[in-house]
Amino acid sequence: MASKQPSMFTNPVMRWVDERFPVTGLMKEHLTEYYAPKNFNFWYYFGSLAMLVLVLQIVTGIFLTMNYKPDANYAFGSVEYIMRDVDYGWLIRYMHSTGASMFFVVVYLHMCRGLMYGSYRKPRELIWIFGCLIYLCLMAEAFFGYLLPWGQMSFWGAQVIVNLFAAVPFIGPDLAVWIRGDYAVGDATLNRFFAFHVIALPLVLLGLVAAHIIALHEVGSNNPDGVEIKQGPKGNRWSKDAPADGIPFHPYYTVKDIVGVVVFLMIFSAIVFFAPEMGGYFLEYNNFVPADPLKTPDHIAPVWYFTPFYSILRAVPPMFGSQFPGVIAMGLSTLIFFALPWLDRSTVRSIRYRGTQWKTWFTIFIACFLILGYLGVKPTTVWGQFGEWASFLDTKDRATWVARLCTVLYFAFFFLMPWYSAADKTKPVPSRVTYGDDVKAVPAAGE
Amino acid sequence: MKLNKLVSSAFAALALAAVAPTAMAAGGPEVKIVGPTASRVDAESLQRGARLFVNHCLNCHSAQYMRYNRLTDIKLTPEQIKQNLMFTTDKIGDTMKASINPKDAKEWFGAVPPDLSVMARSYTTERLAAYMRGFYRDDKRETGWNNMISPNIGMPHVLAEMSGVPTVREQVFKVDGKDIKTKGEAEGQARAAFIAADTMSSFEHHVEKKDGKEEHHYIVRSIVPATDGKLTPTQYDVAIADLVNFMDFVAEPHKAKRVQIGILVMFLLSILLAAAVWLKKEYWKDVT
Repeated sequence: MASKQPSMFTNPVMRWVDERFPVTGLMKEHLTEYYAPKNFNFWYYFGSLAMLVLVLQIVTGIFLTMNYKPDANYAFGSVEYIMRDVDYGWLIRYMHSTGASMFFVVVYLHMCRGLMYGSYRKPRELIWIFGCLIYLCLMAEAFFGYLLPWGQMSFWGAQVIVNLFAAVPFIGPDLAVWIRGDYAVGDATLNRFFAFHVIALPLVLLGLVAAHIIALHEVGSNNPDGVEIKQGPKGNRWSKDAPADGIPFHPYYTVKDIVGVVVFLMIFSAIVFFAPEMGGYFLEYNNFVPADPLKTPDHIAPVWYFTPFYSILRAVPPMFGSQFPGVIAMGLSTLIFFALPWLDRSTVRSIRYRGTQWKTWFTIFIACFLILGYLGVKPTTVWGQFGEWASFLDTKDRATWVARLCTVLYFAFFFLMPWYSAADKTKPVPSRVTYGDDVKAVPAAGE
Repeated sequence: MKLNKLVSSAFAALALAAVAPTAMAAGGPEVKIVGPTASRVDAESLQRGARLFVNHCLNCHSAQYMRYNRLTDIKLTPEQIKQNLMFTTDKIGDTMKASINPKDAKEWFGAVPPDLSVMARSYTTERLAAYMRGFYRDDKRETGWNNMISPNIGMPHVLAEMSGVPTVREQVFKVDGKDIKTKGEAEGQARAAFIAADTMSSFEHHVEKKDGKEEHHYIVRSIVPATDGKLTPTQYDVAIADLVNFMDFVAEPHKAKRVQIGILVMFLLSILLAAAVWLKKEYWKDVT
């Protein structure tokens, strides 16, 4: 933590506080004297945006809980009450529902940045691990939250996901009952999911985000060149000990991030005010039907951000009469990210200096992730319509085969990484970060 | 749809968003909708829709999250609402309840008619409009009615007085050894009939097992519009468009306000964006 520093305040009250609490120290350590590389690009907006969305979700969530009723008989009605009778309740609810999806948009882009520029590599393994934990936590948070409106998709989505645990050998059925608190998703389930959604997971999430940032500020930020600025020359305009290529986070990146925030808010507002359902992707049409345990919908699909993993689940065929292998594959597809720092054995970090092999695998991975996501939102009844050019495959199973291929490639990206990343022919890495005019001199990433 | 039949002032409200057929498949048979799927929303249309809604829908359905006094949003005065639209209550802050007792409803229709508060959001306005235009006489059904969009639904055609009694033309294509020799031919001819149909139609592939053999039936059903209604088909379409507009309003009463505020927010954010970009440029001048 911050060591004792002379107060930066002239205001006597702030001086008084500073003598008892390290306001100055913390501000210097994390803002005014935190030196970040000067060459951050577009991809570096998403960390601060994720924080913004987290705050938005917490604040809108607090207001929603003031009128929401976690009771199977009243939940659906209380959401409609918020939408109609609470002053600007519709705005708060749409901000929360849009925020949920936008959280994943931002986090996926943030993770993609990490992959592209090797931000998970030594010495940032712990930042990456905290990040992966945040991602898992976020998925759980989204899953628990999705039950709360108590619509048909809420109910049946939860039913399907909880039943995945029932596929665990031996203890599965008991485990599922233990999670639900009942033999089917019901009032008990709704109550506990509410507890997890509004207090348990947000607490864990906040703690993890703090750990993520503390770890980041301990080792310093990576950058699009993957060059370690702390190992470069020392001395800049603000300090003779600071890295020459570093600039104070405040005011430089705070003013830059404000631009990102405003652009983000414009996209966010456009959705909230003009298309809150986002064509059924952010708010599913069927979720405007109250939960009915006796009526199974024709098509149960998770919200879009889970669909790549859902496709992996569907792609793995049952073995020995059990769905468990699919569940394992799905679980592994989210947990495999943790191993990334130790799977990558390249001599360079950034995609800018990687060779063709890694770039090819990375492109395949992103393509597979997107295709799996696309297949996950489609009902199985129209899977046969996917990829009509591939008429040599059986129409009924065409999408299944594509999903299987993508699943294999998805895992191959990770499991083969120790070999292709080491064997790759990399480009020479500059000794300093490239900024301004010298960017043109160096072939940039993925171009 | 014959457009030249009617020159009514109400017709001006109809924007023929899709005269071209739109196909829909939702589990059951494939359906082709012919005719209008959307119309312009204005206070008059919403008020006409409100009248239809309380007079016909609220007999059996409820809209239990919708309060009567919300109707002031569509430019009705509390007096107008009380005198013309409220039949089950005299408190204007009450929600819209069904006139029918739910227990009776379950006995008569096999299920309690669903609440209509957010029906336009789950069913979509396009399907709602098509649904209300998709009823036809079917003597095999207990109610005497069937529907092209939701086949075998328990709801009768409550607006039959207005539309008249539409019937259905059913064409079955199967291998008969004479005109149709193969399954492919049957399907091809059925498709052609489905495409050629100029009213709302459905296409169904039905497999029957007979003596261990599979028999493929391709059934094309087309609605034959009625001429004995109080309204002409075009007037009926306008009435349905009004009703659907109103149901869309019921599903999200604050929609108009939402869009209004949205435009203001976007305007303010674009000013903020200009300021933010300028600020960033100013600060970053000295980063080299």
